[in-house]
Amino acid sequence: MHSNRYTIIFTMLITMVLAFVLSSVYSSLEEQTERNFQADIKKNILSSLGFVPDENTSWTTENVEAIFKNSVISFVVDKNGDIVEGMLPEDIDPKIDNDVYPIYKKTTNGKTEGFAIPISGKGLWGTMYGYFAIEPDGATAKGITFYKHVETPGLGAEVDKPWFQQNYIGKKFVDENGALIGIQTVKGKVDESSDEAYHQVDGISGATITSRGLNKFLLKDLEIYNPYLVRIRKNYNS
Amino acid sequence: MALLSKSSKAAVSDPLMSNNPISLQVLGICSALAVTTKLDIAFVMTLAVIAVLCISNTVISLLRKMIPSKVRIIVQLSVIASMVILTDLILQAYMYDISKQLTVFVSLIITNCIIMGRAEAFAMQNGPWRSFLDGLGNGLGYGIILIAVAFFRELLGSGTIYGYKVIPEAMYAAGYENMGLMVLSPGAFIILGLIVWAQRILGNVEEE
Amino acid sequence: MEHYLSLITKAVFVENILLAYFLGMCSFLAVSKKVDASIGLGFAVIFVLTITAPVNWFIYGYLLADGALAWLGFEDVNLSFLRPIVFIAVIAAMVQLVEMVIDKFSPSLYQSLGIFLPLIAVNCAILGGSLFLVERNYTLMESVVFGFGSGLGWFLAIVAMASIRYRLRYSNVPAKLRGVGITMLLTGLISIAFMSFGGIQL
Repeated sequence: MHSNRYTIIFTMLITMVLAFVLSSVYSSLEEQTERNFQADIKKNILSSLGFVPDENTSWTTENVEAIFKNSVISFVVDKNGDIVEGMLPEDIDPKIDNDVYPIYKKTTNGKTEGFAIPISGKGLWGTMYGYFAIEPDGATAKGITFYKHVETPGLGAEVDKPWFQQNYIGKKFVDENGALIGIQTVKGKVDESSDEAYHQVDGISGATITSRGLNKFLLKDLEIYNPYLVRIRKNYNS
Repeated sequence: MALLSKSSKAAVSDPLMSNNPISLQVLGICSALAVTTKLDIAFVMTLAVIAVLCISNTVISLLRKMIPSKVRIIVQLSVIASMVILTDLILQAYMYDISKQLTVFVSLIITNCIIMGRAEAFAMQNGPWRSFLDGLGNGLGYGIILIAVAFFRELLGSGTIYGYKVIPEAMYAAGYENMGLMVLSPGAFIILGLIVWAQRILGNVEEE
Repeated sequence: MEHYLSLITKAVFVENILLAYFLGMCSFLAVSKKVDASIGLGFAVIFVLTITAPVNWFIYGYLLADGALAWLGFEDVNLSFLRPIVFIAVIAAMVQLVEMVIDKFSPSLYQSLGIFLPLIAVNCAILGGSLFLVERNYTLMESVVFGFGSGLGWFLAIVAMASIRYRLRYSNVPAKLRGVGITMLLTGLISIAFMSFGGIQL
C-alpha cells in the first residue's frame, strides 16, 4: 500500500509530465494545423472559382497557397458595396465587425475572371456552408461548392456532388430588368423551353427541404452583396 | 517469428481471430462504427487506435509498480486521454482532410472500452514489451473488423473501394443502384451483425 | 420554443446518439439483456447527460475555447485542444458528486441508480454528448435540451432493445447468431425505424 503523500505526489508528477508533453506538442504543431485550416478554406474558394486539381497541381497545402497567392485577390466590402480599405477577410472578427463581407476575386494577368462569396444557411438538418462564384459580369453563376453540411447522404448531401453543382454554371441570378432573383432548384428537370429556365437548376429528388433552404439562403447572401454587384454590372456593361 | 517467444506471439495473434475484441469480447464498438462509411477513414481510425493502444499499454506497464492503486483508474484514464489528444493533434497537422471527417470520433477513442480494458486487465500485470504486443494484437483485431465493415459499406453504398470505382458503368446503365441504406447507420449495424455471425460459424463459437 | 422542440425531436429520434452515432454501444449490448437494468441505466444516462452537458458548456466557454480566458487577462490562450481530457475528468467528477448527493438524500433512488453510475463515467454517449455540443456551437439552453434529448433517445433505444431481447428468448434464433449477432441486426432494424422520423420538421 502506498501512503497518501506518495499518492498525491505521484498524481501531481504524472499530471505535470502529461501536461508538459501535450502543450509542447500542441505548440509545435499549432502553426501547421492553422495553415491546413486556412488552406482548406482557400481550396474551397478556388474550386468554386473553377480551379480543378490535376496531376501536376494536386491540392497540397503548399500548392493551394501558391495558386491562391498568384491568382486570387481578397478584399472586404461593406453593406453599401464600398471596398473597406486596409481590411482583409482574415481580419474580420465576427464578434465586433458587422456589415463587412469578404470577396475573393480571381484574376489572370490583371484581368478579372470572377468573384467568390461565402454562402451559408439552413438545410434540413443544420447549417450548410459553401462558396458561390460569379462571372465578371456580376450576373452569371460561375460555380458553387459546399465544404460543410450535415444533410442526408444520398439525398440532401448530393449538393456537394459535381452533377448538381455543374447545373449552376452559366445560370443568371438577375432578370432582364436588373432585379435580383436568385437561382432556384426545381422539382425534377428544368424545362429548357420555359422563360424561367435561365435562373433554374435541376433539383435533387427527395430533398425538398434542403433545396428550398439552399434557394433561400443563396438569395439572402446575394442580396447582401448586391450593392457591390450592381456596380460591377454597371462597369461591365459600360 | 524467432523474434517473438510463443507467449508473445499469442499476445498478438489471439485477438485477431479466436479472441477478437469486437466480435467476441464485444468491446469498443462505440466509436468504431461511425467512421466505417469509407475505407480510407476506417483505415486511419484503425491506425489511430493501434497507436493509442500500444503506447498507452506500454506507458502504463512501465508505471505499473509505481501507480498507487487508489488512483489507478484515473491515472490510466489520463494517460490514455493524453495519447488520444496527441494522436488528434498529429492527424490535424499532417492528415487534415481525414481528420476533418473523423471529427469527434478520434476524441471518443478515450472511452473506447478496449483501451481501458487492456490497460486494466493486461498492462497492469505484464511487462512493457508484452503489453506493447498485446496492444498491437488487440488493435489489429479491432482494425480487421472495422475495415471489413467499411469494405462492405463502401462497396455496397458508394460502389467504390478505397475511393476507386469498382462497379462498372454498364451495371448502372442496366439499372443497378447503390444502396443508400449502407451509407446510413443501419447499414453498419446489419453488416456488423452478419460479420459476427459469419465469424462465429467459422470459429465455431457460441454465446450463452 | 419551437426551435427547442425541433432540437429535442432531432436528438431523440433522427439523430439518436446510439442509433445514428453508435455512442454507448458497449453498455447497450451488455445491459440490454435485462429490462429492469436497462430502465435503471437509461434513467441514469438521461440524468448524467442533462447535468454534464451544461457543465461542460460552461467549462468550454469560460476556460478552454479560443480567447475564453480573456476574463483572467489571457486573451491569446487557446486551450480547446485539451477538451477531451477535461471533459472526461469533469464527467467522472460529476458522476462521483451525483452519486454522493443521491446517496445522502435519497437512499432508495441510490439503491436503483447507484450501481449504474460508475459504469456511466466511461460511457461514450456522455463524452460524445459534450463533444457534439462544442462541435455544433450550441448555446447554454440548447445544450441542456440537447443533453436531455440525447439521454432520452438512449433510454428509448435500450429499453426497446431489452424488451425485444426478452421476447427473443422464446424464438428459435440460429445458435451462432445468438447474442451479439442478433442484437446487432435488431439494432439495425430499430435504427431504420427511428430514421423514418427523418422528414419531420417542427
